Amino acid sequence: MSRYTLTVAILSAVVLALAILSLAAGPAGIGVVQGLSDMLHGRETIAATIIGQIRLPRMILALLIGGTLGLSGAALQGLVRNPLADPGVLGISGCGALGAVLVFYTGVSAVWAPALPLAALSGAGLATLLLLALTRGGTLVLVLAGAALGSMSAALLALTLNLVPSPYASYEIMHWLMGSLSRASLHDVVIATPGLLIGSALLFSTGRSLDALTLGEDVAQTMGFPLRAVQWRVVLGTALAVGSGVAVAGGIGFVGLVMPHLLRPLAGARPSRLLLPSALGGAALLLAADLFVRLPVSGAELQLGVVTSLIGTPVFFWQVWRLRGRPV
Amino acid sequence: MILQTDTISLTLQGNRLLNDIALDVRPGEVLGLIGPNGAGKSTLLRIMAGLLRPETGRVLLDGQDLFTMPPEERGRHLAYLPQEAPAAIGMSVQDVAMLGRLPHRRTASAEQNETAVQQALDVVGMSAFADRSSARLSGGERARVLLARALAVQAPILLADEPVAALDPAQALTVMDLFGQCAVQGQAVAVVLHDLALAARFCTRIAVLSQGRLVSIGTPAEVLTDALFAEVYGVAVRRCGEVAVPWSLVSSARRP
Repeated sequence: MSRYTLTVAILSAVVLALAILSLAAGPAGIGVVQGLSDMLHGRETIAATIIGQIRLPRMILALLIGGTLGLSGAALQGLVRNPLADPGVLGISGCGALGAVLVFYTGVSAVWAPALPLAALSGAGLATLLLLALTRGGTLVLVLAGAALGSMSAALLALTLNLVPSPYASYEIMHWLMGSLSRASLHDVVIATPGLLIGSALLFSTGRSLDALTLGEDVAQTMGFPLRAVQWRVVLGTALAVGSGVAVAGGIGFVGLVMPHLLRPLAGARPSRLLLPSALGGAALLLAADLFVRLPVSGAELQLGVVTSLIGTPVFFWQVWRLRGRPV
Repeated sequence: MILQTDTISLTLQGNRLLNDIALDVRPGEVLGLIGPNGAGKSTLLRIMAGLLRPETGRVLLDGQDLFTMPPEERGRHLAYLPQEAPAAIGMSVQDVAMLGRLPHRRTASAEQNETAVQQALDVVGMSAFADRSSARLSGGERARVLLARALAVQAPILLADEPVAALDPAQALTVMDLFGQCAVQGQAVAVVLHDLALAARFCTRIAVLSQGRLVSIGTPAEVLTDALFAEVYGVAVRRCGEVAVPWSLVSSARRP
């Protein structure tokens, strides 16, 4: 068995185990198997309600959002050929969140539910497009542009929070901005899943183009992989995946930065070989982080986005450390 | 396969970069593209590779317009080796060479791909390094791996932009000799060169560009005359056997 196959197999097993654990973990001591079977047979027991309404949506969203975040990180890094690329670091998630907050604040999402993911993915898509336009400036320009986008979205979000009429709504938005799956519902699953799946399919389809791009744009083009085509697929895929994720779970950062970094030594340096392991790794990381925040620490539940950021920032520092002294 | 430029011209931002260039690259030959800096050599090669559309004129591959050909098919017909190598790729030498088989992904079997890559690595003398990370290679070794990638395409047309600019004499000779072997095996090779001695030694024909015009084309003996050196490069040469060595500048009055 090759190291790649082994890596994928182990990661899949870890994801499966964490997914089952995610269904089993919670304050109510209920049987997972019993709950699932009750749910599938339409029996309205407490176990069925807890599994079907609370734990299953939470597990599905952690799995899909974590997976797409890892995947989009790997695809973005392949596209811009830079290990610092991540939807969170580059402000893509922030702009997605801004879009979502705007429709939430204006009440549009209360009237028409799909407005929320659509606004989030528009924000994320615009941010990605802007970044790509600046990519030619090299690493420094890309990271600075990401920082600028992040600051801009943070400032506008803060402004929106200031203007929100009730403290309760303000608390709601803040809670969601920090990134959380604690109130994930079946409704969230329904509105986010199409974007998450289509976005993932688009991102997975870029593997060969990303491989060709390692030789530079010109060679890739002469081999039949024009840069434009792969750029569009990554932009659309990232916007759909990150936007849909942000719309229901808020800003969860650094998963896309951490996973490719950790898995590159195992999966090899070929960008196409990094996509699937990064997706699996992202799913595992978010499932694990979501289990961790459910631990009864100091009474209050930790925020998921805070946990991933705490895991991610040291990796970010490590990447910057490795890049130091390299020409930008 | 014959690659032909049918009187192509290109103007970018008001600058006439290429003016009615008509030439062809035939199977079994190494065509050298030479000329001073800014003469349009690399631009011409990029047009021949399908990376840049000429303003007027056509690029023909066995009579078929290169720019209407499906990209994947074009990718199987011509291999392009750019001047600048990408920054260190962490991939293994084998994986880098295997990228050359991407245009064949729907038409060749895994064994055919393996064989092509193995042959390409053998030819450039990098088989022993197949599993090594390409990030841990010297400049010359990396150039040879990237050349192996281009050879692995097994395209009838091979286009290389200053492939020996950053190489020491031994590596440069090795690489130029490889182009010669490709030509002997029936490939049509076009190479942009600055080193006129290498051009004289290894090219079957030489095309001289100056200020976007094709000044001269023919065998090295026909083309590399003292008059040409003076007019195109503005240098006087001394002859050491068959080789002309640029020796001194000629007065600016004689330069075009």
